[in-house]
This record gives sequence, structure tokens and C-alpha cells, in this order.
Amino acid sequence: MAEKAILYDATLCTACRGCQIACKQWNENDEYIPTMENGVASNNRGSYENPADLAPTTWLKMEFREVEAGGKVRWLFTRRSCMHCTEAGCVKVCPSGALYHDAGGFVGYNEDLCTGCGYCVDACPFDVPRLEKNHITGIGKMSKCTFCTTPGLNRIDAGWEPACVKTCPPHALQYGDRGEMLALARQKVAELKAKGWSNANLYGENELGGLHVLYVLDDHPTAYGLPAEPRISAATIAWQDVIQPLGWAVGGATIVGLGLNWLVARANAKKEEKDAARS
Amino acid sequence: MQREVEKYRKPIRVLHWVHSGAFVILFITGLFLFIPQLGFLAQDGWTRLIHRVAVVFFVLAPLIYLALDFKGALRGIKQAFSWGIEDIGWLKAAPSYYFLGNEKDMPPQGSMNTGQKLWWFIVIAFGIIFVITGIIMWFFKTIAPVALLQWAVFVHDIAFIVSGAMLFVHIYLGVFHPMMTEAWNSMTNGKISAEYAQAHHGKWYEDITRGK
Repeated sequence: MAEKAILYDATLCTACRGCQIACKQWNENDEYIPTMENGVASNNRGSYENPADLAPTTWLKMEFREVEAGGKVRWLFTRRSCMHCTEAGCVKVCPSGALYHDAGGFVGYNEDLCTGCGYCVDACPFDVPRLEKNHITGIGKMSKCTFCTTPGLNRIDAGWEPACVKTCPPHALQYGDRGEMLALARQKVAELKAKGWSNANLYGENELGGLHVLYVLDDHPTAYGLPAEPRISAATIAWQDVIQPLGWAVGGATIVGLGLNWLVARANAKKEEKDAARS
Repeated sequence: MQREVEKYRKPIRVLHWVHSGAFVILFITGLFLFIPQLGFLAQDGWTRLIHRVAVVFFVLAPLIYLALDFKGALRGIKQAFSWGIEDIGWLKAAPSYYFLGNEKDMPPQGSMNTGQKLWWFIVIAFGIIFVITGIIMWFFKTIAPVALLQWAVFVHDIAFIVSGAMLFVHIYLGVFHPMMTEAWNSMTNGKISAEYAQAHHGKWYEDITRGK
């Protein structure tokens, strides 16, 4: 399968949040309408943005930002979900192989294999994985967007686009081969620049080896709350590239050394026994 | 019957087995997160629960011992941390001793030889490192800065590698090494033969027999 990608065009998005709902519905991430009868108090945070943050049952959410530019208030919408990085910190630190790169280049997730260690939560430069965990026993599972490849709910294998893309009314979300999405995005950025949006840019082409969610933005990424230069921390790299080889080297050398010692010392002890018997 | 001397009193032996038993369980449940091929055994996090139950014993056993026999524990710790010229001699003589049974360069040792002192040091130092980094991971997962959590895991893993490797050495010397014939007895019924004590812990043997 060729590398796939989702293209999000922030200039087309109307923040209807249809993608949020489609995501929940397809992936069976039920949510309660916040009413007292449902045991969930509603809470006015002074924004149309809802819910407050990504959560174990919210894999995708639209963020609203109010930005003042040239005496005008602009309302910017950002799609928050897994970015499906090529150099994915979460895949690097996942000890059980629950997180892996799928054939399409995105970060697949096998929930059954998750041990709930939460290393991915600390390793993600976009603060995406959400861990639901009992703090005393430590038993829990991570949740994140699976690019609609959850076993049994796999839209990609069926040849369909992800649920969020399928439902998007203004076609702010598109899905296809990554190369085609990049071409579309570059064309759109050029159009925006021609119209005078000098800060227009394509986000995700080269970040972290290339994201599989691409953004067409009419302003700098930081205006949209995206990290300008996302990085994987040294500790994330150290876990796999230092700790793992070090562990095998030290463990291996110890076992081989002890084995050698046993062979030499036993041969020696036998020899002494023989000598003692002879004398 | 062969004359025997007491090497380890019962409270020490109980502490040893509770603490080491807990450590072995902690080591194995930790290993599942270290070897990707064994990762499936940690599925659903049950090994983390076992890890957390074991750590209670791992922490409480030495603390209870400290409370019951503070002086004795302090004496042991002091001994483990006092190093002298004889320890250098031990380190120099150790390879030919442990491989070839060559005893002539080995200086007489106290009740703890240099290798045992080293092991005490590792148990105490890494025990403390394990517990501090473990507390960060267990209780501060949601509030600690991400970098602190990641480096806590890193340090926890380094401690795991070093003390794990030394655990292999410890078990090997206690159970399998052809010359350490009485180490196992000393930790099970507490006794070693006078002959063995004299050969392996000459200074200590002199100390305990002088009064008699």
C-alpha cells in the first residue's frame, strides 16, 4: 500500500465538529451528554469548543482559537488528533509492540497488547495518547486515534476513507495517497499566498520525518497551537537506542562470563580432586 | 561431627529471603517490559500489579529489620562501606581465585569479603535509586513534568541492568560456583563449617574464636 495521509485545510473548516462525532460513532467511543441524569455535570468554559480536551473516548477534537490580527479578531480552528508521525516517539518507546507503523505509514494501535505503562504519553511531542489507569493497581489502557484501523472496525482495509474525512461537509478533510495530498496542499498554499496570505504554509511535510496528517494553514503553525518544530526528546531516543543495547550487552556478557567461570573452575576443581586422590 | 559456626542469624536469613524473593519477582515482571518478545506477558498490566505488590515487601522488609535491629543493621552497613588495603588485594587476587582456585594471594577476609561488600553497596544504593524513581512513576505519573518521568524510567532501567546482572553473579556464587560449597547452607540453616569459615573468612573466624 502506498503511503496514505489525511489533509486538513484549516481555511475550509467551519468547525461543525462533525468529524468529532463521526469518529466517536464509528470507533464506538460513546460519550454521555452532560446532564445531571447521566451523572455528568455540564460545565460552561466560555467557548463553543467541546469537550475540553482529548480523552480516552475522544480521539479527535476541534480546537478553537481567537487571534487578533490587524485590529480584527480571527477565529482559527485546529484539528487535534494523532499526527501519525514517521519518526514516532510513541512507537520508539512502546515496550510491547502495541504501537507500530501500519502499511500506510500511520501509527497503528493494538489495544490488546497495551500494558498501560504510559511511556507513549510522555514520548508524544503532540500530547495525544490518553491513559486510563487505576492509580493504585496500575492497570489500564492507552487510547488514541488508530487511523480507523481498529480490528473489526477497519475502514482503511475495506478501501474506505477514515470516518472523520467521510463526514466532513466542506471537504476540509481529504484522504488519499500522501504524495497526492502533498501536491494538493502545495497548490492550495500557493493560491493562499497569491491572495496575500503571506504566512500560508504546509505543516507536516517534513516534521518528524513526515506526518500522515497534513495541514494547510493561512498563518504560522504556532497561531494554530501547533509546535513549530516538534522534537522527540533525548530520553525517548535513549530508551531504545541506549538502554536496550546496553541491557543486552551487560546481561549477555554476565551470563557468558559466569558460564566460562563455571567451566574453568569446575575443570580445576576436578583436577585438584584427582591430584589429592593420587597423593 | 564437623564443628560448625553460625554465619547468619535467623532474622538476617528471613530478611534475605523476603527481600531477594521480592527482587526476583520485581526483576521478572520488569523484564517483560524490557524484552519486546515477552511484552505479550505484560498484557493488560497484570504484571504491573504483581510488581507493585512485590515492591511493598521489597521496601518493608529492610525497614522492619532496621526497626527491630538498628544497631546490627548499622554495623553491617558500616562494614560494607569500610574499604581498606585488603580490599584492593582481594580485587587483584579475585580472578585467579574464582577461576583457578588459587588462594595464596588472597588476603584474609572479615565476615564480609570485598565482593560481598560490593554486593551490599549495590543492593543499598540501587535499592534506594529503584524506590525513588519508582515512586515518581507510580505516584507522580499525572503531575510530574514529562522529562522527569522519562528520565526516571531511564534511571530505573539502568539500575535494573546493573543490579540484575549482579543478581546473576550473586546467585551463581551462592549456588553454582564449584568452590562456594557452603554459601547455600549459610543462608538456609545459618551455619558453615569451621574449616570453611577459616579458609574464606579468616579474619572473622579469628575474631569469633579468640574469646573461646
